[in-house]
Amino acid sequence: MVLIINTTKDTSISEEIRRNISDKGIDAEIIEAGEMRISHCIGCNFCWLKTPGECSVKDDYEQILKRIIHANQMWVISDTALGFIDHKGKNIFDRILPIATMYLTFKGDQMRHVRRYKNTTDIGLIYKGDVEKDFLLRWNERAALNFHSKSLGVFSTDEIKEAASCMC
Amino acid sequence: MHVLIINGSPRVKKYSNTDKILAKFTEGLTEGGSTFEQYEVSDRGCWDTIRDAFGKNTNILIALPLYVECIPGLLMEFLETLTPKNKDTSIAYILQSGFAEGVQLRCGEAYLKILTEKLGCNYAGTLVKGDNFSIRFFNEDQRDKVTTPYMEMGRIFAKKGDFESEECKKFTGPEIFPLGVRIMVGLVFKTFAKKSFKQVAAEWGCTKPLDYRPYK
Repeated sequence: MVLIINTTKDTSISEEIRRNISDKGIDAEIIEAGEMRISHCIGCNFCWLKTPGECSVKDDYEQILKRIIHANQMWVISDTALGFIDHKGKNIFDRILPIATMYLTFKGDQMRHVRRYKNTTDIGLIYKGDVEKDFLLRWNERAALNFHSKSLGVFSTDEIKEAASCMC
Repeated sequence: MHVLIINGSPRVKKYSNTDKILAKFTEGLTEGGSTFEQYEVSDRGCWDTIRDAFGKNTNILIALPLYVECIPGLLMEFLETLTPKNKDTSIAYILQSGFAEGVQLRCGEAYLKILTEKLGCNYAGTLVKGDNFSIRFFNEDQRDKVTTPYMEMGRIFAKKGDFESEECKKFTGPEIFPLGVRIMVGLVFKTFAKKSFKQVAAEWGCTKPLDYRPYK
């Protein structure tokens, strides 16, 4: 399943994606999160050490988390700020921690958290606004490593067609 | 030199590893003859005060934990509300993480340079150090062992006003552990560390295995 999370209030972006993938027969789910109540991660570590796999912050993110664990791809659509995705986009990534366990291992030559679920979710970004694109590419690749997955790339909202071609 | 210190951790001060690091760092900073004022981004009630201090101060230090390879969402939210300055202001950073190797923090460090530019300030370097996850679980002696080295960094910062010196760069430790160390540490992860995490979990009232899957 391809999960698309739109953290902007601009639903025309997801509509354009929908149009671009309509004839591909993709099992896709779009979540309009722009108006959802999604807090930042408070760093309590409860999802690792008190209520394993469950976030202590009870808000609209839980329904997203439940879908991520079944998705083979997750695309986050985000507004931008200060050369990066804005806090609403970043919160989607920060709150994903419950899919990892507290346990640690080495993957290649670097430490990683052992994943909680067998499924892995590759990640892609679609951004609206100005970013430092080289950095964003690097960041998305690093972020994917944390989820034992790979980067699907980063695309501006002018490149929806290109992003949609990577959705499968 | 007077330094505005912003603790960018989303954790409340009491449980903030970054705050424990800052406690030692500022001891050294004060010994070195500097003064400072410190605010916590986790306290939203302070955001107006921090914004005001950001506008008035020219030596700024932002200390933060690495969250998914970059800055925490809450700190990002705060920074989005700032008005960019002119080049009279310098920003330095203390970037800390749970993962131990230096390489884990380099992507985050790269963003801090971009961020400084976007805020219209001069980049005064980043003090990069991992292996800080357990600070909140340690007793005072154990905690001091991990945080005391930051005192010297505070003294250096008081003297130089940046983290560009060799001593600060060396502070990071190894970028990647050699194979032999990885094998040994990997064994510790599977044995001692696992047991310690289970023990902490039990103390926190956890009744499930740490690899429990709540969602089917």
